[in-house]
Amino acid sequence: MVRKRRIIKERVPTPERPAEERIHDFKEVNLGYTFGLAVKEAERCLQCPYNYAPCIKGCPVHIDIPGFISKLVQYRDDPDKAVKEALNVIWACNSLPATTGRVCPQEDQCEMNCVMGKVGDKINIGKLERFVADYAREKGIDEELLFEIIPKIEKTGQRVAIIGAGPAGLTAAGELAKLGYDVTIYEALHEPGGVLMYGIPEFRLPKSIVEKEIDKLRKLGVKILTDHIVGKTVTMDELLQNYDAVFIGSGAGTPRLINAPGINLNGIYTANEFLTRVNLMKAYLFPEYDTPVKVGKKVIVIGAGNTGMDAARSARRFGAEVTIAYRRGEEDVSARIEEVEHAKEEGIKFAYFLNPVEFIGDENGKVKAVKFEKMKALDERDSRGKRKIVGTGEYVTLEAETVIIAIGKHPNRLIINTPGLEVDKRGKIIVDENLMTSIPGVFAGGDAIRGEATVILAMGDGRRAAKAIHEYLTKKREGQKANA
Amino acid sequence: MYKILEKKEIAMRNVWYKIQAPHVAGKVKPGQFVIVRAFSNGERIPLTPVMWDAEEGWIVLITFIRGKTTMKMAAELKEGDYILNVAGPLGNPAEMKKFGKILAIGAYTGIVETFPIAKAWHEIGNYVTTLHVTFEPMVVLKEELERAVDSHIVETVPIDPNLDFPTNMKNVTKRLTETVREMLEKEDYDLVFMVGPAGDQRAVFNVVKEFGIPMKADLHPIMVDGTGMCGSCRVTVGGEVKFACIDGPEFDAYQVDWDVLIARSGYYTDMEQRAMQEYMKAIQGGGE
Ligand SMILES: Cc1cc2nc3c(=O)[nH]c(=O)nc-3n(C[C@H](O)[C@H](O)[C@H](O)COP(=O)(O)OP(=O)(O)OC[C@H]3O[C@@H](n4cnc5c(N)ncnc54)[C@H](O)[C@@H]3O)c2cc1C
Ligand SMILES: Cc1cc2nc3c(=O)[nH]c(=O)nc-3n(C[C@H](O)[C@H](O)[C@H](O)COP(=O)(O)OP(=O)(O)OC[C@H]3O[C@@H](n4cnc5c(N)ncnc54)[C@H](O)[C@@H]3O)c2cc1C
Ligand code: SF4
Ligand code: FES
Repeated sequence: MVRKRRIIKERVPTPERPAEERIHDFKEVNLGYTFGLAVKEAERCLQCPYNYAPCIKGCPVHIDIPGFISKLVQYRDDPDKAVKEALNVIWACNSLPATTGRVCPQEDQCEMNCVMGKVGDKINIGKLERFVADYAREKGIDEELLFEIIPKIEKTGQRVAIIGAGPAGLTAAGELAKLGYDVTIYEALHEPGGVLMYGIPEFRLPKSIVEKEIDKLRKLGVKILTDHIVGKTVTMDELLQNYDAVFIGSGAGTPRLINAPGINLNGIYTANEFLTRVNLMKAYLFPEYDTPVKVGKKVIVIGAGNTGMDAARSARRFGAEVTIAYRRGEEDVSARIEEVEHAKEEGIKFAYFLNPVEFIGDENGKVKAVKFEKMKALDERDSRGKRKIVGTGEYVTLEAETVIIAIGKHPNRLIINTPGLEVDKRGKIIVDENLMTSIPGVFAGGDAIRGEATVILAMGDGRRAAKAIHEYLTKKREGQKANA
Repeated sequence: MYKILEKKEIAMRNVWYKIQAPHVAGKVKPGQFVIVRAFSNGERIPLTPVMWDAEEGWIVLITFIRGKTTMKMAAELKEGDYILNVAGPLGNPAEMKKFGKILAIGAYTGIVETFPIAKAWHEIGNYVTTLHVTFEPMVVLKEELERAVDSHIVETVPIDPNLDFPTNMKNVTKRLTETVREMLEKEDYDLVFMVGPAGDQRAVFNVVKEFGIPMKADLHPIMVDGTGMCGSCRVTVGGEVKFACIDGPEFDAYQVDWDVLIARSGYYTDMEQRAMQEYMKAIQGGGE
């Protein structure tokens, strides 16, 4: 039953730092709601019934969105209680709300379907989710909830190994630990977090938030072995000998390069290298931090996905003049809408229908320009619904001292070479409906099975896999008991 | 965190670290490397396990003091301290088969990387000669190599205090190429292998090429993750883009595009020098 109420058409805005200020640092752009503002936004929600609410259907992990929003209004006189109740609702489906509240493409998911859109602005679900998570973290409410869960965990005595500490692996680890398993994560890098740590910049997702999430996992008893590369430090066979099940969340970390002359010139970075230097290694604090990065006056970023936006906006923060060159048109830009808007506000230029064909270097082997072929779109659409593009035979050359390639990534190679592990021709690990791979007892999820996808899908896979592993190991336990 | 069990200066600017790192010691094979991160604001640098003991769980790394990181490690890390991160083993093991007669070269501290490979080649029945060309005060692993291979040759060049370092290094390159030429003229080798600065690798390759002998080189482009994730280490080999950390580090010298490798290795020189100078100023000026 929908209550009669006054409809408030406009969104309650979240404060943002002005573009002129934020392009000089790596601090967060959007400041998020206060409790007062969050309640005001929450009041706009029509509280669609659970079985109908289109936002829930649009959410890949089906968070009870009206459910958590209603708590903010219901307990408006007791902010701590309101947030605790709301967080409890979110946690039933999503253990990383501070992250997803910031990086989910809400406009294509929950918010896309929001019925408020028919009469006014859609509910700002992402920022409400983020508010709940941030407030809970700052007040220690998330830990309080966690400490209520921990004593109830019954240990099963079985061990699970997780490969990769990105959102897929972290989520699977957390869920399995809550189900009583002894969980160890193997992570190749020196910091857990995956793309959340090395890819997405500080100004969009502060690293302290990711660190806090990882802290919570440790409190749940999850062990994290950094510097351990599965396939090198330890093999899949060894994992299978020492653990009852394995989950692969190794992501899609192999950068795709452009097959064009001059690709190995100096000054040409893959987005992964550029962002790893900047985010994980904190090159923006050189020489206080030791890792260098070079950003010329003119930067061209090739590709217009989230990675492209992050690379462009990071380069902008080094004072560069940045152009994003994309081989398709504006309608096909795949980045989150908020990032595209922020990029434009920050003065980043967009050049469409340009396909790189050659990188031109100077006498020292350093890039100085990129030659592009001009493309044009046909009416015909490809399998993903994007208009097909063809070359026009016309060329244009743009100057650049730094070029960043952000055209996508493939699954990590060290894992997909595991003997017996079936992968498709693009290197994606093949799984069944329970996310089990061709190796019995080995499950996989996230970008490792999807190619480049999203944080929430990776997290959703982590949860589903945890459930499937739980079923698999429960059977195994019962089988062992029966045999004993 | 990995404990430093032993640390000593074994020659001028060459520092030996014995480190507790059982996850690497149990797995590493000759030709593989590790990535070390020594300080919380530090960079990730590739280094090579020179010796190891799987049972006792230690590895030995030998660094040449080159820039800020290797200098800071030498200045600030003591026995009993911990290194934050040692990731590995990474890269592919060296090809282990009977080649016949091998000349395995190390220029400067490159010899420490040649050591485990040459030793293993000898153990499986190759006739291995190792050649170490370096400055007089920088000779390392001499006795170890004499024991490990069939014949170990050391060629040293004095450091002329009146000349700057790059000019002194040219003398090493000259000695290196001359010695290799003499050796190849005197004896037939089935394989030449080399670790050292890319410029010296190319200089040696140009000599070896004249004799038509197969040559392998361990390449040292700048690395970040060492796991195939960033592409910083890309090299051009046989006209194709390869990632040295997962496709190498060993490559067929005849296929390597040396110009690309040399240009890429020097890309950050100005910033590295700045980091080093600021560090030296800080330790000299600041004291404690
Ligand atoms: C720059 C950038 C911006 C993005 N922005 C957004 C966004 O705004 N919104 C969104 O939803 N998505 C975004 N994405 C996509 C999203 O980050 C990924 O879909 C998500 O991180 C996938 O999670 P994962 O756990 O599968 O893998 P990853 O996050 O890639 O983590 C995999 C982990 O496994 C480790 N690993 C790999 N191989 C091994 C091995 N052999 N042994 C041990 N460990 C190993 C890696 O080091 C890594 O830590 C972005 C991606 C990038 C690169
Ligand atoms: C596979 C491999 C194995 C290596 N093994 C050894 C070893 O056993 N002992 C040893 O002394 N050195 C070894 N090196 C070289 C070593 O990594 C560099 O000497 C070290 O990174 C220098 O750091 P720095 O801060 O002291 O000097 P910097 O001033 O930062 O750099 C000096 C020069 O070192 C090289 N370099 C810098 N950073 C890197 C990096 N991240 N990756 C690769 N090269 C870099 C560059 O050519 C640079 O110009 C190895 C390199 C590779 C790729
Ligand atoms: S669809 Fe919109 S209005 Fe309806 S419950 Fe979801 S957020 Fe509220
Ligand atoms: S060092 Fe990053 S891919 Fe090789």
